[in-house]
Amino acid sequence: MTLSRRNFIKQSGLALTFTVAGKTMLLTPRQARAGNIPFAVLTPEEVSALETICDHLLPGARENGVAHFVDQQLTVDPNDSLLFIKYFNVEPPHVDFYKSALKEINLLSESIYGKGITAIDKAEAEKLIETLRDGKAADWNGPPSPLAYHILRNDAVDVVYGTMEGFEALDIPYLAHITPPRTW
Amino acid sequence: MGKAEKVDVVIVGCGAAGSVYAAIFAEAGKRVLALEKGPGRKLTDLYSSQIWARRLKWGAPHVFEEGKDSIWYNFNAGHGYGGAAIHHYGVWPRYHPEDLQERTLYGKGLDWPVEYDQIRHYYDQVQEDVGMSGDAEKEIWRPPGAPYPLPPLPVFEHGNILAKGFTALDMHTSPIPVAILSQDYKGRPACIYDSWCDAGCPTGALANPLVEYFPRATQAGAVMQSDSYVSRVLLDRQGTRATGVEYFDGKGERHEQPADAVVIAAFTVENSRILLNSANDKHAGGLGNSSGALGQYLMSHPAVTIFGMFREDTRCYLGITGGQLFNQDPFAKEKNKDAFGSRQWEIGLGTKPNDLLGIAMSRADLFGDDLHKFVKQGSRHLGVMVGVCECLPDKTNRIELSNKQDKFGMPLARVTFNLDDNGRGLWHQAAEEGLEIFKAAGATEAWHSPPGGQHIMGGTIMGKDRETSVTNEYAQLHDVPNVIIGGPSVFPTASCVNSTFMAHAVAMRSAQHIAKHWNQLIIAL
Ligand SMILES: Cc1cc2nc3c(=O)[nH]c(=O)nc-3n(C[C@H](O)[C@H](O)[C@H](O)COP(=O)(O)OP(=O)(O)OC[C@H]3O[C@@H](n4cnc5c(N)ncnc54)[C@H](O)[C@@H]3O)c2cc1C
Ligand code: SF4
Repeated sequence: MTLSRRNFIKQSGLALTFTVAGKTMLLTPRQARAGNIPFAVLTPEEVSALETICDHLLPGARENGVAHFVDQQLTVDPNDSLLFIKYFNVEPPHVDFYKSALKEINLLSESIYGKGITAIDKAEAEKLIETLRDGKAADWNGPPSPLAYHILRNDAVDVVYGTMEGFEALDIPYLAHITPPRTW
Repeated sequence: MGKAEKVDVVIVGCGAAGSVYAAIFAEAGKRVLALEKGPGRKLTDLYSSQIWARRLKWGAPHVFEEGKDSIWYNFNAGHGYGGAAIHHYGVWPRYHPEDLQERTLYGKGLDWPVEYDQIRHYYDQVQEDVGMSGDAEKEIWRPPGAPYPLPPLPVFEHGNILAKGFTALDMHTSPIPVAILSQDYKGRPACIYDSWCDAGCPTGALANPLVEYFPRATQAGAVMQSDSYVSRVLLDRQGTRATGVEYFDGKGERHEQPADAVVIAAFTVENSRILLNSANDKHAGGLGNSSGALGQYLMSHPAVTIFGMFREDTRCYLGITGGQLFNQDPFAKEKNKDAFGSRQWEIGLGTKPNDLLGIAMSRADLFGDDLHKFVKQGSRHLGVMVGVCECLPDKTNRIELSNKQDKFGMPLARVTFNLDDNGRGLWHQAAEEGLEIFKAAGATEAWHSPPGGQHIMGGTIMGKDRETSVTNEYAQLHDVPNVIIGGPSVFPTASCVNSTFMAHAVAMRSAQHIAKHWNQLIIAL
């Protein structure tokens, strides 16, 4: 079945509203990334760190716009949030959690490899992620590192597999009753 | 500040219990206003997506969780019309008679102020109202009651594969008892088994509050009002009767709503929080707290999810989220070795790739290419079931006020929950037994989740003795009887059984009784 762009966004299950220069646009995180839509709360360094770690956690997360998804969701009321972090006993605003976790991940990378998270290779990233996951990071001053691992990993899973495209990649039917609306 | 026209009943929360109270009181001719803190949702607002489903979950005000174990508050609670029940899974077994008399029969836990026979009629009434599906005969553990109005849901590959494991170990399975339609019923369509229940069923196949009691309430004249956050109960000068509630609207404006009776049905933690926040000079420790039991006996079912990979195509993304088959073989409370309490299995849960209970999370240790490989394989071959265990009431598990406040200056809730040796023991037994079952079913590998918490109960428990409980058998505060409590917060014991069917039955019994004896129980206080 061929989908029009509008229908595709509607059916992808993850269309977000981005406001740029007073203009509201409906885009998937992937399109927001491709279109260089500015970020609302994350700095360029944080965006790079988030994209890098998430792409190591689940390749494809960067391209699927994980940073735009997280950034946009960090601007909404905690009751309306679509982020996985919502389930955990983390007091909002969740932006503090992300900023602190990303900062510590970068510091950890520097302390182990002498370079930031965006400069390490796949094998180095794997070791770093295991350290995070197993709570073995020395001098870690952020939120518990296994929790940071879970949250970032599941953000990556959301944008890669939580959409109609993701189901299609897995070759399983989506079977939506009602697909999310264009705006929200 | 606005002071509105007085109503007969003001209800706090438009979820499962609040909707039952609203329907029964409105149908009895009472003027009912139900105030809901969240948005005013319709069935058509329920989108099939595990990501969008999170809008339905609790986000604020924050609940601080302390203690060794989590009650997973934000996951288990909801907000907006329908409450947590709008995206609940509709698994509705009955409590067993012995669950209500644990202290008398076993010297453990607590007794309810009512026995099963006094609840049975309301179970029968509710199952008829909402249209339950199941097979009363095959459900060999089922307590006495009318047969289900609808035949059971069909069992697909996932259920059939896992059932082989139970059979091999001489264990029994039955169709799962659910508040989901196997056939069209009262103008509502039958389930189509796409497993989007966790995101909220928009067709009306699953009996969430918007399907039965909420519309009945509005048809009978009840007014449901969204974006109305109740902060406390207001009292007369003597402190002997409630005069209404204080609430804040979506713009932050304060209102007082006068009423003859107040029903607090804001789910377990908020119920206690609102009462604690209603303290005044006559009720210094919180409203309804002369016993000191307010906030105590918080309970949550320890749950273990068993996962396994099978050669067969399980099509685990189909069915209903809550499972296809059911087992209560390990229910007998004294037969579980080294730990007292009941256990049950919900078998063949519909599972999507993402989210807390999704395929990717079942192996939370995997990442990178390994995670891709695993999710791909799991989407076709994963088997999933959940073991739910009893949690005994313990007064040290409790809801209290934090020293932090919400934006209106009301203290937030803080909960302390430590699972005791019984709960932990039952959980370990379930984990062990579940792996055996999966191996017997032919799983090529099987593993289990860490401890999770399902359903939240207690805090405003009912009891005969006002020295040790918060409400009487009709869920009225002993201290201020025109305040009535709705939901599983009034349960004195947890059983291992999902709580919502019982919450409906208890609410219906209380509402019908209070409506019938209105003048005596409410007006002449
Ligand atoms: C994912 C999930 C699956 C579940 N599956 C099952 C199952 O299969 N079987 C089962 O038996 N149970 C299940 N449950 C549990 C079930 O949802 C609850 O037991 C039930 O909803 C509790 O009913 P309640 O009326 O006490 O609370 P709710 O239904 O949550 O309603 C409470 C309402 O009060 C509102 N409120 C809270 N505070 C305030 C305030 N201050 N002012 C105004 N309004 C307020 C809330 O926003 C909410 O709408 C499940 C729950 C979840 C989350
Ligand atoms: S599986 Fe059935 S009950 Fe669940 S959402 Fe679909 S139609 Fe509704």
